[in-house]
Amino acid sequence: MNSELIREIVDRNEANNNGLISTMEEIQSKFGYLPREALEKVAEKTNRSLVDIYGVATFYRAFSLEPRGEHLVSACLGTACHVRGASLVANEIGKQLGIEPGETTQDDKFTFETVNCLGACALGPVVVVDGHYFSQVNTSTVSDILKKSVEGFDKVEVATDERIFPIEVSCPRCNHSLMAPDHQMDGYPSIWITHSYGLKHGWLRMSSLYGSYKSEAEYDIPENQVINFFCPHCHTELIGAADCTECGTQMIPMIVRGGGTVQVCPRKGCKGHILDL
Amino acid sequence: MHRLSSVEEFLSFQKQITDSPRTTKPTLVVSAGTCGQASGASGIIRIIKRFLIEHNLQEQISLRITGCQGFCEMEPFILVEPGKHFYTKIEMKDVPRVIEATLSGKVVEDLLYRESEHHTSHINQDDIPFFKKQKRIILGKNDLIDPIRIFDYIKHGGYLALAKALMTGNPEWIIEEIQRSGLRGRGGAGFPTGKKWELARAAKNGKGQKYIICNADEGDPGAYMDRSLLEGNPHAVLEGLIIGGIAIGATKGYIYARGEYPLAIKHALIAIRQAREMGILGENLLNSDIDFDIEIVRGAGAFVCGEETALIASIEGKIGEPKQRPPFPVEKGLWGRPTCINNVETLSNVPVIISKGADQYSKVGVPGNSGTKIFSLVGKIKNTGLVEVPMGTTIREIIYDIGGGSVGNAPIKAVQTGGPSGGCIPAEKFDLAIDYDTLAEAGSIMGSGGMIVMDENSCMVDIAKYYMNFLKDESCGKCYTCRKGTQRMFEILEDISQGKGTLEQLDLLEELAHVVADTTMCGLGQNASNPVLSTLRYFREEYIEHVIDKHCRAGVCKDLVGAPCQAACPIGTEAWRYVAHIAEGEYEKAYLAIRETNPFPSICSRVCDHKCEERCRLGQTGTDPVAIRALKRFVTDNVDPAIYKPERTGEKKSDKVAIIGAGPAGLTAAHNLSLKGYPVTVFETDSKPGGMMFSCIPAYRLPREVLEKEIDSILDENITMQFNTVLGKDITIDKLFKDGYKSVFVGIGAQKERRLKLEGEESEGVYPSIEFLKAYNVNGEQLAKGRVGVIGGGNSALDAARTALRQDEVESVNLLYRRTREEMPAFDEEIEAAFEEKIVVETLVTPVRIITENGRVRGIECIRNKLGNLDNSGRRRPVPIPGSEFIVPVDTLIVAISEQPDTDSISPEGEPELSLTEWGTLEVDKNTSSCSRPGVFAGGDVVTGPNTVIDAIAAGRKAAVMIDRYLRGEELWQQGQAYLPKVYVEPYSSDSADSEVSQRVEPEQVTREQRLGSFKEVEMTLSEKSAKCEAIRCLRCDLEFTQPKTEKTEKVIVRTPEVVEQ
Repeated sequence: MNSELIREIVDRNEANNNGLISTMEEIQSKFGYLPREALEKVAEKTNRSLVDIYGVATFYRAFSLEPRGEHLVSACLGTACHVRGASLVANEIGKQLGIEPGETTQDDKFTFETVNCLGACALGPVVVVDGHYFSQVNTSTVSDILKKSVEGFDKVEVATDERIFPIEVSCPRCNHSLMAPDHQMDGYPSIWITHSYGLKHGWLRMSSLYGSYKSEAEYDIPENQVINFFCPHCHTELIGAADCTECGTQMIPMIVRGGGTVQVCPRKGCKGHILDL
Repeated sequence: MHRLSSVEEFLSFQKQITDSPRTTKPTLVVSAGTCGQASGASGIIRIIKRFLIEHNLQEQISLRITGCQGFCEMEPFILVEPGKHFYTKIEMKDVPRVIEATLSGKVVEDLLYRESEHHTSHINQDDIPFFKKQKRIILGKNDLIDPIRIFDYIKHGGYLALAKALMTGNPEWIIEEIQRSGLRGRGGAGFPTGKKWELARAAKNGKGQKYIICNADEGDPGAYMDRSLLEGNPHAVLEGLIIGGIAIGATKGYIYARGEYPLAIKHALIAIRQAREMGILGENLLNSDIDFDIEIVRGAGAFVCGEETALIASIEGKIGEPKQRPPFPVEKGLWGRPTCINNVETLSNVPVIISKGADQYSKVGVPGNSGTKIFSLVGKIKNTGLVEVPMGTTIREIIYDIGGGSVGNAPIKAVQTGGPSGGCIPAEKFDLAIDYDTLAEAGSIMGSGGMIVMDENSCMVDIAKYYMNFLKDESCGKCYTCRKGTQRMFEILEDISQGKGTLEQLDLLEELAHVVADTTMCGLGQNASNPVLSTLRYFREEYIEHVIDKHCRAGVCKDLVGAPCQAACPIGTEAWRYVAHIAEGEYEKAYLAIRETNPFPSICSRVCDHKCEERCRLGQTGTDPVAIRALKRFVTDNVDPAIYKPERTGEKKSDKVAIIGAGPAGLTAAHNLSLKGYPVTVFETDSKPGGMMFSCIPAYRLPREVLEKEIDSILDENITMQFNTVLGKDITIDKLFKDGYKSVFVGIGAQKERRLKLEGEESEGVYPSIEFLKAYNVNGEQLAKGRVGVIGGGNSALDAARTALRQDEVESVNLLYRRTREEMPAFDEEIEAAFEEKIVVETLVTPVRIITENGRVRGIECIRNKLGNLDNSGRRRPVPIPGSEFIVPVDTLIVAISEQPDTDSISPEGEPELSLTEWGTLEVDKNTSSCSRPGVFAGGDVVTGPNTVIDAIAAGRKAAVMIDRYLRGEELWQQGQAYLPKVYVEPYSSDSADSEVSQRVEPEQVTREQRLGSFKEVEMTLSEKSAKCEAIRCLRCDLEFTQPKTEKTEKVIVRTPEVVEQ
């Protein structure tokens, strides 16, 4: 148990007057559930009794006091889904996983939950696995969904997926191409820029495939580190783009050949990007 | 982003981006809200971008990504501006075609929206019925704006209302405008927003600190307009919240959003960040003396937190329990300070009111209920989505005009409004003009605007149980009556749905519902009874059926239904059982399973309307139902019927029974009575048995040898057939009793054709369809000649048309029907076959005059119809178009508009009359089939009007039971019971990879050439391979009831919900 992290979460939320629920949400998003030690720490830091904290933790549906599986499968049982046979789908999921709603499989692979409504009522019955929505699910498509979730939804076949394509970019200031034909990534010329953080300064290459998040850098950039990007030709810092839609960091702009801009988030690990044409 | 330092600077900036030369390039608009993304919009967007880059089209085509636009059913879609071409259910492969057509100024015809395959497509989105009747003041903005771009919002007039409010510099003016607009809270209760703001402004408590909260805890399952607004146009919510903050004097706003809406939260966060950067939000916003900032609080999944005091507790980090009011939050709310709570949709209306002015705004809607309301139209409806209509629109307009009516074949029976706190409104009340007050009178509430449409496959007890289950889980537990009351109501409803309910429990349920409503503190408890009380009020009959008959007519309540296919069959055929035997290759066992209940399996395998397939769970969950009828045909064609030995259940009896009519009802009754040992005499007008099966159903659907063989097989020594005996002439009911018959069954069918009531109907060459069909089927007489016209759209019209086409002297056949193709009551496969056989089908025409020459028909004058207003069945009335008359030349005219029983013969002068219904059918007790005269029973078409073979067989079976009870002197009516699957048939286990789900197989048909001029059977038998494949598709709903229970071997980690007993 990382008590330092918990202390930091509690302090930050207290300072922002965010309330207990935000604190617990953050703890849960870090650990996947609310460990007893964490709740004890929260009680101590907030001067509330553990009973009180436990009361809140058990009142809200979103909190779990038990570790959850690797994949979270939620079957919507909202009214619209219900009248379209959602309970049959939920039964089928339970049957295939061998567990009841609220339970986790023995191998810790899956946690299965039912939810009241996901607000995608037109598409019912809806099933969400790890944030991916599946619409008009029926009993015969359940096994396919479970299979896909084990494989991972982020897994893309760069070579065959038609949603992935190369773009060519240039510096927004000097308009010099940023492409490096002699350094290929994913089978295409990579994007070549220089970067710095702290006292480090070096090169960085990104895959030019829109949809591939591959990159290489001179140094191992720590996770969550925001880095500065520069044009290797005119040495201007690439700034002045919109905020990242995922994390709010100001993104870096590049010009797309033929018209348009692409903006990517400079925070290591963040996948935020916008392609404007 | 540039920080704006004054209202003036904002206005000039606004003017600058609005005036900047509007792009003339065509724009592709893709909606990518949660629902769009779930339908694959993200992939479409990527492919568009890819195509534009690869073909260097960035300068020629723009792309806009928006939030949800409302027509979720059609997603993913591309809307092409400026022509507003609406391409629906787009796949990635369609993208290049759409872009190429857009570049060359054309449309892609086959991708454009159309109501159904029989309709033409709409070029412009505005012409689509779904959009045409809406007034999308709020929702329409979603189409124009990319929600993550503040400039988009500003370009379309965003924050102008805020600028106006700041320039006026007078919070009272804002409140007055809102009050004059008549805006009422869209969260459900309809409290006047202006009044709430006035109270909050006047509140003195709190040392000047006040809060305003946007309630985006949209917990009603089935309602998602708040998600759509926050996702698709977050700045409008922000603007409303800022204006509200200014009006009441708050410096801090909260958006309390459901955690289940990640995209809405993300977009709201982006919007807040952008507004802050531009100086629209924060300290001294737009350089005024106003400080106002907004924070988002994620709800953690508790329905009760939609209640304002519970919501406040939740923000404060406490258990979300409501508090007693007063004090109201406007006096003492968040952290003890005055707090105003408004719903997302309410706040979205605020900028519109301030910009346009209250007078303009209040012109929409009805007095006391101004503006529009967004409803989420979901459930068993064709056009699912969000619809925005003026207050005062009728339910009928919303469901049929905008929603397009029922999604399947089952008619719509009710709509549920207001979520778990609302109620069900039955179809006969669909003319209700919706506003806060009318809905409350009807026993429901507006709620947040969920509209869940239910059809005949939805059980009202189940719906009440569903909501009560939800409410008992979501009750916070503070009020005893709510905590225990919802639990107890749920238990009673569960008992009822399991067939364990009693009438006393029904009374208790009602009483309890009133107690809970009267004795609880917050809206959750006070409205918790609505689902129960409204269903009891309008659908009590369904409750009683569950309690008394142990029957769930919708086929939903598992413990009463068992396997849906079996429950759907009027005679309870265990379809699952014979399908399971087919999968195993055990065809004889399959035959026995069919024959046990059905004396006419071969006949039904050809002409049954297969209600089992309508209810098949496979069909209810998105795929096609098992082809049960075709499987039955496969079995009956491949098994020798002689393997079935009827089981005689009674010794020989002396009480004679008379059966009038040798149709399916009469023959079934005779057969079943004979098995019980009764001597039966069947009296028949015609010279052969079979009734309509023989005289009307053509041989190409039901070969004569099949029919004759099957009827022969059930006749035995107990049954005497007396042909050519006419009721009312050769026999009367009195006479039969005098002759010693102890009981009489009337099964004479409905054989009197309804007339067109046009002059010339008596001319030569005009025939009622029954007369025409009988002439051919009984006597081999070919009455049709030359050009044939058939009037009607039911099965007998189709039978007549297709029979005529096969007659020697016929040149052509025209079928004339007054409504549209979709509304034809005939079986779909019959209509398809008619098209294949090149019968000309003219729809939307009504005959007005029969043209005769020398006493013989020469033509028929018709008038074309257009579709008018909706009738009670939800169908549009055909309305004649003046001046559209035209003549169809015919040499033979067959009238097939409907039949009714010939009841004159039943009760001749001087005999006790049998009561008739207002439709001219025989009146019987629905539970016992008995007529108004003791000892007389009736069933089949004479009771129901024209109906199916299987319903007649069911009537015959039931009559046999009742007659037996009558003759034994037993009570006729006995407590019903549910028929659940009992026999365990081992499920098919596949050892190879063929377990993959296959498509439904359809039986092959003989070619058109082979059919013409011949009465050869059209449909062929399935091959053994196809039959097995099809049988394997069955979900085996029966196993839940029959499978031997095994212990769960796998150990699991169980996270039990904490139950705190107090």
